[in-house]
Order: sequence, then structure tokens, then C-alpha cells
Amino acid sequence: MSTSTPDTEDSGRIERWVTRAIYRPERLYRVLFYVAVFGFLFGTLFPFYWLFVIAVTPRELLGTVGLTPQAFHWQSFVEVFEVVPFHMYVANSIMLAFGTTAIVLVVASLAGYVFGRLEFPGRRPLLLVVLAISYFPPAAFFVPLYRLFAGNISLFGISSPNVLNTPAALLPPFTALFMPLAIFILTTFYAQIPDGLEDAARIEGTTRLGALVRVIIPLSAPGVATVAVLTFIYVYNEFFFSFLMTTGEYTDWSPLVYGIRNYQTQYTQLYNLMGAASLIGVLPVAILVAFAQEKIVSGLTAGALKE
Amino acid sequence: MARLTLDHVTKRYGDVVAVDDLSLDITDGEFITLVGPSGCGKSTTIEIVAGLTDATEGSVHIGDRNVTTLPPKDRGVAMVFQNIALFPHMSVFKNVSFGLRLRDYETAEIERRVDRAMEIVQLGGMGDRKPEELSGGQRQRVAIARAIVRNPDVFLMDEPLANLDATLRTHMRTELQRLHKQLDTTVMYVTHDQAEAMTMSDRIAVINDGTIQQFAPPLTCYNEPRNLFVAGFIGSPGMNLFDGTATADGFNSAAVSVSFDHSSDIPHKITLGVRPEDAYLAGSNRAERLSAPSTAINAVVDVIEPMGDEMLVYLLCSDEAAADAESVQLLVSVPPETDVEVDESVQVVFDRSRVHLFETASGAAITHGLDTEITPDTDRP
Amino acid sequence: MSTEPTSPDAASETGRRSGPIASLLQWIEGLSEPQFAYLLLGPVFLILSFVAFWPLASTFEMSLHANSLTEPLGEFVGLDQYVRILTGEKVLIRPLFDLDYPLQSAIVVTFLFTVVTVVFETIIGFGQALVLDRSFRGRRFVRVAIILPWAVPIVIQGMIFYLMFDPSVGFASQPLQQLGILADQPLNDSASSLLIVIVADIWKTSAFMALLILAGLQSVDRDLYDVAKVAGASRWQRFRQVTLPLILPAVLVAVLFRTIGAMRVYGLVVASDAGCSTVPTLSCLVVETLLSTNQYATAAAVAFITAVIIGVFVSIYIVRYAQEVV
Repeated sequence: MSTSTPDTEDSGRIERWVTRAIYRPERLYRVLFYVAVFGFLFGTLFPFYWLFVIAVTPRELLGTVGLTPQAFHWQSFVEVFEVVPFHMYVANSIMLAFGTTAIVLVVASLAGYVFGRLEFPGRRPLLLVVLAISYFPPAAFFVPLYRLFAGNISLFGISSPNVLNTPAALLPPFTALFMPLAIFILTTFYAQIPDGLEDAARIEGTTRLGALVRVIIPLSAPGVATVAVLTFIYVYNEFFFSFLMTTGEYTDWSPLVYGIRNYQTQYTQLYNLMGAASLIGVLPVAILVAFAQEKIVSGLTAGALKE
Repeated sequence: MARLTLDHVTKRYGDVVAVDDLSLDITDGEFITLVGPSGCGKSTTIEIVAGLTDATEGSVHIGDRNVTTLPPKDRGVAMVFQNIALFPHMSVFKNVSFGLRLRDYETAEIERRVDRAMEIVQLGGMGDRKPEELSGGQRQRVAIARAIVRNPDVFLMDEPLANLDATLRTHMRTELQRLHKQLDTTVMYVTHDQAEAMTMSDRIAVINDGTIQQFAPPLTCYNEPRNLFVAGFIGSPGMNLFDGTATADGFNSAAVSVSFDHSSDIPHKITLGVRPEDAYLAGSNRAERLSAPSTAINAVVDVIEPMGDEMLVYLLCSDEAAADAESVQLLVSVPPETDVEVDESVQVVFDRSRVHLFETASGAAITHGLDTEITPDTDRP
Repeated sequence: MSTEPTSPDAASETGRRSGPIASLLQWIEGLSEPQFAYLLLGPVFLILSFVAFWPLASTFEMSLHANSLTEPLGEFVGLDQYVRILTGEKVLIRPLFDLDYPLQSAIVVTFLFTVVTVVFETIIGFGQALVLDRSFRGRRFVRVAIILPWAVPIVIQGMIFYLMFDPSVGFASQPLQQLGILADQPLNDSASSLLIVIVADIWKTSAFMALLILAGLQSVDRDLYDVAKVAGASRWQRFRQVTLPLILPAVLVAVLFRTIGAMRVYGLVVASDAGCSTVPTLSCLVVETLLSTNQYATAAAVAFITAVIIGVFVSIYIVRYAQEVV
């Protein structure tokens, strides 16, 4: 489809192309398909390109920044760690994400096994109760948890310890937010393991718990890995509790949210560092997505089909 | 290596009775088969023996131990499953040795036993393979090796051949018989395929609606079915059955009448059954050799199915006097070279010594063979 | 059993190991299936009660009391908080459209945000899913590229669009201002900010829709397409008659999930620097009531009103599409 050729030749070409397209629609579909692919690629990747342009533009040129970089000021990617200890915020986020993932995996594994493989009265209502948690806005959990972690709740005269600014104030709400999805996904995975395998293990000499540990969990490894990846990404992405439960100091376990926000609120002219920080902040999850894309797709599938 | 006894076992799921007061006594080393249509309770029964399902009532004994409440691992049973159920994340060796490793056997002993079991199922040297690298038949043999390696008291097999293709199934049938002869262990085998049950078992338990219809050696079930269900279920193609009435001189129905002498207390409504191979085209050599043929029945050839070794002829017989009467189907097995054509009118005679009579209402058998005077057997339920 | 000597310990397997752990395991094995299930559910519901059920119950209890700065709970006032918020008698934070009806403004903002984002995300996600469902060279790369925005932390998502629309560095504001779409200071203007936040959400979350719809597409039996082809259906007819009806359940589930998410939007509003005063969503209303005015009980009531609005919506949706969804 050339549009830059002279008019006469151009109209002839278009005419021929249209004729061909009508008689061979497959060709037209292919063109449309690639137009769509490049459209989507542009839409999703352009913002990252824009971050890059901003990041490598020296501060004095930021006023006239265009769609292409005028210079390559790579030092931004070093300065970003010097102005604010950005790496500490990223490290806090990663550690909190690992911690939450570990708790969610252990607890949701048991629940997924029970909901996916056992028959008992109340199975459906209990599962719905777990789902109902995800209807509530995070704000509905916030006040009591905040007061509890601030040491303002007392039970039998013993007041709760003040754990604000420690992981103990962040891991519980994170766990509550992502537990329902994890349980749904694992329930689906566990339910798919043929009954015969569990029966075989028990006939061969395991207890029910033994069959869970030796056969069912090893076989659910893909599902468990999926839940791990999704939980990690969700916690790394989380905003609400990350923002409200911490002070903003990296020494107080403040996560990535504040690493970025500090630039936005304190160093309001350092646009290039905001771009650099954002790119670096995306890096861990970008790597995870690149390596675990199949797990993400299968996990969300399982979670959705469970509905 | 034990006797297996089920004593008045009942299993209820809510209002549904899956197994209804079922008792079985299986002697040491016997190969018995539970056979019946799907949903008849045979799989539930074997799961109760295995301990995978708890019986609602009744008890299970293996040897002289009451195992009714024991978990599966403590029952001394091994099981082969329909879907084979090899652990996909373990090698063949690990699969076969799974039960032994759980019981902390010494490594040398485990290896000796696994080698021996793998030899028995003719898979020596395959220990390092993963299940996914094996063919369907090989996987099934690994599952069998896993079952025999522990020297169980009782072997349970739940439709182990159902997922194999026809050729392999026939082959494995022979293998299992050879294996049973070699090991001499008590075997409880579940299948819906009556041919499997007939060929392999010492005794067959025909099950329907959660109750045992007949528990007897295969040929007894075939030749002397205790009721209409067994008559219809065992044998392929199935027995011809005609509903009719007992008259002064024998059996009478719209299309088929067979005369016989009988005492007066035979039920009024009776069903006559005759297997396809016991019905003959009148005038054929085989019909001529019958010592006591029934009176000829008029019929028209409907469909012919040549099977190679025999030919199945589907006939329609109708009472010509009553034009509106529905015609009744009758299946006859004839030698393959028999000269018949579709729509041809033929006459059929039954071998009276092989004709069965049942009480229509209860389904209970009255007699097998019409040679002698019939006196209803009051012992039969 | 003539081939092997019977193992001497065959019958005493369970008796061989002893000690408290062994007897505990033996006790667990003896439980019935429902008992076993409840035992294993213990830890889950213990954790969920602590981090979810108790806070929710506590929030609800708080909402039934008057605000108090000194005591944990003020005077019991029943549903008075709800009545005052719903009638507009209670003035919360700076409202958007009408000073007298802050909750209603928040509902309008949240509703606009939800409807527009979910509609566009469904359309774009559908397109992305159709692309990803086909096999072509470079599909892995395209898939990573399409999923990537979904994995971007909310705070960075906000930052990206802040940098695009900030008047001093952003390239996007000037042309749009000339077209009259954006205000002079877009991130200080409610309508402009709402538009920016909507675009940012569509950019990030279309991929989530795409993944769920892709799951539906991949579960369609490929033979059905061949059947339709043989029956003479055109490409469009195949899509309309076969694909669309079969993946409708997946699309409806995706829409449900997204709607719940969109109605809780908070982080993006803060992170894009638009702020809760410019784009007051329902979650914003809760947080601002809480932190700016310390009216805990009122905030709790607003949180529950939000949950009820979501719950009502979800219930209507599930009842309406019950056959497809469940």
C-alpha cells in the first residue's frame, strides 16, 4: 500500500490491490492482522519508550524534550540511586513480595487441596465467603488493621504491639488481598489431578496427608508456581496498603511506591530521574513476565474458569 | 494370600443406595470378577474393600482380620486402576518401589523385589524411564508390577483394561491370567465387559442395582442364569427373550409357542429365553440332529451380519393371524456358509434342552432345558 | 503368594513408628473426610479471620457509632452515619460536582471511570486476545509486550502518565489542549484528570482482559471451526456464530472482575498526581475522610457503602448472567 507515488500510478495500484483483496480475502486479513499487531505493540510499548526518552534527556534540555532524545545522559541511571536510595525501596518491595508469596503459598495450598479434592458439608458456602472478601475495597480493612498495628487494640487488657513500619504491618493485609485469588487458582489445579493418583498413593501406603505431600503437591507444581508468580507481581504492584501503612522512609520498610513518590513530591524538577526510576522499578516484573508468561496465562485462566 | 469376606455391606449416598446388603465370600487364591452395567455399584464395592470409601453398614475381612475401619495402607491390598494412575513425576523404578520405600525397606531388598516384579511383567531394564515414555500396555504392566511388588494379600483391579485398545486388551487378558496362575493371590476384578469376566474368572459376581444377581463360575452363569438380568447381561449377543403365558400344553406368546409338559403350579406369566446358538433354521443339518426340537416358528429375515466364524441372522416373527400384532425380533446364529437372503421366509426351531424359562414378574429362573417334567424350584429366590 | 517370602513386618507397618508425631498422624488419618477438611481449613480461616473478617466486622461496628477522636468508639448511633451520608447532610471532603452531595459526586466519578474503562478494555482486550490466539512468528515477544503493562506497578503507571501530561515535559498536553480536549493544567482539572486516569487504566488493564478472553478462546474446540468451515460459513460468520457465543462466558467473567477492580480505584488517582481532590473516587472518599478529617466512623460507613454498591452491582450482574457465569 504505497501512498507516496504520483497520483496516476497510485490510483492504478490501489485499484489492483483492491481487486486482489476482493478475490483473495486471505491477503487482506493478513494485512489487517499485522496492522493490529503493530498497533497493539505501539500502544503498549510507547509509554516505556517515553520513559526512556525522558530518562536520558539531560536536565537542562527537559524543557524542550521531544519525541526523540536530543542527547544521551546515561548518568540518570546512576543519579537515581544517589538522590534517593531507590535500590533500598525496590529491595523492600521484593522482600515483602517474597514474604507474602511464601505465606500465601503455604496457606492457600492447604485450602486449595480441601476445596478442590474433598467433599464436605459447607464446601460451596465457605468458598463463597472467601470470594466475598475480594468485593470489599481495601479501605474497608484499613482502619481496624491500622489501629491494631499501631498498638491501639487491647484484648484481655494486653494491648497489641506497635508493629507499624515493620513487615508485620504489611504482610497481613497483602495476604488478605491475594489469598482469595490464590485459593481459587489452586483449587482448580488440585481438582484437575486424577483421583486415581491419590487413591493409588493411599493403597501403596501413604496417609491422606502423605498423599498430599508426596503426590498431589509435586504434581501441582505448575499451579503453585503460577500462584507464586501472580502473588509476587500483585504485591509488587500494590499501592493502597504500601502507601498508607508506611512512613515513606526506606528504613521503615517503605516499598517501591515511596521510592517513586519521593521523586514526584520532593524532587519535582528531576523529571529525568523519575523516568529512570520508573524504568528500573519495572525491570523486576518485566523479567518475571518474560520468563513466566505461560504461567501467568494459565493461572489467570484457572482463576477465571473457577468462577 | 488370604480369604476375602464381605459381610452385609451397604453404602448409601444420601438417599441413593449404591451397594445394598452385599455379601461375598472369596476363597484364598481365587480370581473373582464383579461385573455389571455402569452405576451398578461394582466400583463402590471394590473401593470399600480398598478402604477408599467407608461402608455405611457391614464389614470386610481379609484373612481373619477385620479391616472395615482400617485406612487403605494398613489393609494389605494392592490395586490397579482404570486410568493406570502411575505417578507422572516419578520414574518407573520409583513408581514400583513407592510402597516399599514408604515402609523403609532396605535398598538392596527394594531393588531385588522391583527387579523381580519387573521381570514378571516382562519390563526388565525399563526402571529409569518416565511413565510418559511408555506405551499404554507398558504403563499398565508397570501398574501391575507396582501392585505385585508388595506381596499383597489381595489384588484389586478396577477395570484395568478399559482404556486399552481392543488388541492390547485381549493380550493383557491372557497376561493377567498367566500372572494369576504364577502368583496365586486372591484377585477381585471389576469390569463392565462380560467377555472379560467370562474368560478370566474362577467365579463371576453379576451385580445390578447394588445387589448380587448371581455369584457362580462363568459357565454356570452362562448356562444356568439365575434370573432375567443375568440371562440378558451374560453372553454376546444376548439371549432372545419372549414374554408370554403358560398354557396347558406349554409356552404361548403372539409369535412364539413352545410346548412342554409341566405341573400345574407354574406361574401364569412367564418369559422364555433361548440363546442365538440354540436356535436353528429348520431343515439345516444342525436342526436335523436335534433330539427334541420345538415346533417350527415362522419368521422373515430382516438383517444378516456375517461375523466370519458365524453369521448372525436377525429375524422378525409375527403371528400371521393377528395382522396388527407387533413383530418380535429373534436372533439366530448360523454357520457362515448358510444360504439365506434378506426378506426370505424361514422357519426356526429351538433346542428344547437349551431353552430357559423365567417368571416374568420376579425374573427368577424356573428351569433350564425343557426335556423333563418341570417342577418349580422353590429354593430359587 | 509363592514368589516372595512375606515381609516379616508387613502387618506391623503402623506399629513400627511410634512417638507423639506418629500418633498424631494416625489420629488425623482416622478422621472422616469432613473432619479432615475442616482441620486443614483451620489455618486459612484463622488467618482470614485476623486479616479480613475481623477488620470488616470491626469497620462495620465502627460505622454504627459517632465519630470520636479520643475513644476507639463514639456513641452508638445506629444507621445514623449512613443516613447522613446518603442524604448529603454530612459534608465530607471537597466534593466535585455539588458541595451538598459529596457521596453522589464520588459515585458519579467512579461510575464514569468504571463504565468507560471497562468498555474500552473489553474491546481492546478482545482485539489483543484474537491476535494472541493465532500462531505467528514472534508471538512470544508480542505476548510479553501485551502482558507487560498489566505487570507495571500502579505507582509507575501513574508516573508514566504524569510525565506524559505534565505541562513542563509532557508531549501529550499541548496538542490536546489546542483541540480543546484538555484544560491548561490538566492534572488540576477534574474532567481532564479523569480522562487521563481513564487512559492510564485502559493502557494497563486491557492486558488483563486480553488474558482472560484468550483463556476462553483457547478452550474452544478447534474442530468446531472446521465444522463451520465445511458448512460454508464465512470468516465473519464463524466468528459471530461459533467463537462469540462460546467465549461469552469468559468475557462476562472478565468484565465482572474488571468492574470490581475499577470500582475500587485509588492508587492510580494518587500516583498520577491528579489527586483525590481532583478525581474523588469512592475509595478516595474513604481515605480522605479518614486521614484529612479523622472521622473514623464516617469513613467506615463510606467504606461499607462502597462495598454495598460493589456487592449490589456484582449481584445484579451474576443474577442477570447467571447461566453464563456460574
